[in-house]
Amino acid sequence: MLSKEYLAVLNPFSDEARKIVEASPALESLPAEIKELAVRRMKWSDKEALVQPDSQSVQAEVLSFYLMCQAIAAVSYPNSREVRFASDATRKTIRYRIYDMFRRGEEELCLEAVRRFVNVVELGSEEGKRLIGREIPRDDVYRIRDMGLQKDGVGTVDDRLLPQYLPKYAVRWVGLAPIMRQRRLELTDLYLLNGWAVITPRDLWHLHAEMLGVETEDYIQSVYERLADAGTPSPLLVDIGSKISSFVPKLPEFRERIGRGVAGRLRPEFFPPCVNISLSGVGSGARNYAVVMLLTPFLSHARAAPPPGAMRIADYITDVSAVTDEIAPLIFDAAERCNPSLFKDQPQEKANVFYHMGFGMTTEPRLGDSGRSKWYGVPNCTKVQMSAPSICKPDDFCRFIKSPLTYYFRKKAERGGAVQEAGK
Amino acid sequence: MMMRQATPEERKKFYAEEWNKRDVPDFILHTLSLREFGFDLDGTGPSHRYFQFTTLEQLEDFMRHRAPYSAFASVALYERPSMREGWQKAELVFDIDAKDLPVKTCGCPKGQVCEKCLQEAKKVAMEFAETLRSDLGIRKINFVYSGRGFHIRVNDEAVMGLEQNERGQLVNYITGAVIPSDLTMALGYSKIFRERAARTLENLDEGAILNAVKAKQVAARLVAEKNNVLAAIRSGRMEQISGKGIGQTSISRLMETLARLNSEFTDGKVTIDTKRILRLPSSLHSGASMRCMVVKDMEKFSPDEAVPKFVREGR
Repeated sequence: MLSKEYLAVLNPFSDEARKIVEASPALESLPAEIKELAVRRMKWSDKEALVQPDSQSVQAEVLSFYLMCQAIAAVSYPNSREVRFASDATRKTIRYRIYDMFRRGEEELCLEAVRRFVNVVELGSEEGKRLIGREIPRDDVYRIRDMGLQKDGVGTVDDRLLPQYLPKYAVRWVGLAPIMRQRRLELTDLYLLNGWAVITPRDLWHLHAEMLGVETEDYIQSVYERLADAGTPSPLLVDIGSKISSFVPKLPEFRERIGRGVAGRLRPEFFPPCVNISLSGVGSGARNYAVVMLLTPFLSHARAAPPPGAMRIADYITDVSAVTDEIAPLIFDAAERCNPSLFKDQPQEKANVFYHMGFGMTTEPRLGDSGRSKWYGVPNCTKVQMSAPSICKPDDFCRFIKSPLTYYFRKKAERGGAVQEAGK
Repeated sequence: MMMRQATPEERKKFYAEEWNKRDVPDFILHTLSLREFGFDLDGTGPSHRYFQFTTLEQLEDFMRHRAPYSAFASVALYERPSMREGWQKAELVFDIDAKDLPVKTCGCPKGQVCEKCLQEAKKVAMEFAETLRSDLGIRKINFVYSGRGFHIRVNDEAVMGLEQNERGQLVNYITGAVIPSDLTMALGYSKIFRERAARTLENLDEGAILNAVKAKQVAARLVAEKNNVLAAIRSGRMEQISGKGIGQTSISRLMETLARLNSEFTDGKVTIDTKRILRLPSSLHSGASMRCMVVKDMEKFSPDEAVPKFVREGR
């Protein structure tokens, strides 16, 4: 039986973990072992993530986690590759640990950790039956199991593995909102009854890890803001942060190669219908969406052609004129063509365009400012259709794609070659 | 159903004689001072924004004196509504506009409204509300007749803090906008999708079906076999129709079209906008000369209840 303190290992934001942090020595006096651990933990393989059940190991685990987060905040910015890397590493670590604990019969401790975030009931309990209010049809139980197995690519199942795939718990779906916000969970993928999502143990541990990934990002952001207010961060944090940053994959070569398309001059002849409609100007109901939420990310991503997960446009263009002379004029012209003209009654939207490209609120972007705000991704077709149905007029090519950007790159790849050949 | 624009004199008459501050619903009244109000004073658009009323009497005074063309209140609650700052939370809203229903059985063109369109919008609103209750466990659901359709306004604390992405996902869920990974489950989203897809297909004409599947012969078969196709969708057993000259590609195309049309039964833009202003229940929809009002009993509601006195007297 593990002590309550061990909850800190499954959730570094728990009260148990906070107590450890509050009782920790000053940053400079932390043992060298913890400083090393803060860097090393980013590269852990599964088994290395496991923590011995003694107080000293638990404390080292928690302190190194916080040191890692603070160090990253000292050398990067919210939405950076480093932050993404840290949150992914946290997800992986927590997921492995909680699976491991469950397998070793520590289900109660696992549930206690999860309950810090989201309300969980057991389906078989009286409370579970009362809250859900109806029987789950047996066939649905099997379908949920089969879908889980299929998703994980599990062909044969033994008695030890099977219980992980059978619906056993229910969680309030609203408690999962932070994960949905990051689009790491779709509501339509949940089996919902009376406000409760029916899930398997495997789903539960997965959701717990996802939640901690989100919390990690939020925490780094809050530290970043504090450090920005306070001035220069501690040299120790910068030193550790730089070490972490040095091995965060910049842009792995293979990702470059499988990137969605080739950067270069924009080719309007391959734009999807929604972008063409937006470029020709839209009415008052859809103009902000068309200009700021669709055209801005679309044109910037189409021009820069970053790989998935890219954070800063400055990493993919060498000169800011790509933004000021190629991308922005198209957006501004489209805004002018709106009825009524977008910038006439909402002049602040001009700065908002650059904000959505990651330059912060400015009308004079510089490459050095890239990363001040989030570089917004291109909405997928479902989102465009829902947010601005008037600009979603799919053509035949749309049928095969789910994002306006994929449309562009695929059409450019398929037909761009032909055009070039014909022009030879 | 005749819907016409109210004249400035009729608006004045409405706000002087008929509008009653007691008709402002409790869910607005209890949070009055936290909401931003906006007005369209002359029919040119809601350009008068950033109003805050700390008492109902202040609102009453404004309405009686200005007799606005349209009156709106924010779905959001703010610390400083007159500056639209300090966002606290927002009602969850679904807008079902009868004039914009993607599939109509009445034959009246998109952009126009007849009694049948309104009946269909009412049915859709009731279905959505039922899903909000039964699947999503949401309470405190209010219906509002907007003048040309219905608003579902949710004041359940559990969902008022949700942001754009989650609200967008709720639209997908309740409308059936995403084809589920398993069509056959008896409950949950799978069932919602099947019901919505069947309802949409039921009302789809041959032209729309042809548009979806892009092949005349297949479209003709789908129309001839419509009842079987509907039965297959309702049971989630699409293989029941795949042997009848309707190929897998056509079925996929049809399902994609149904999912897309499903999503258009509500204006997703309204739901995901957590700072939106929405027509104030009790006020006059001057474009339709109808009262915007809270509906207590949706089953029994008839738009006739929303006809203002100046229209009834003029009949």
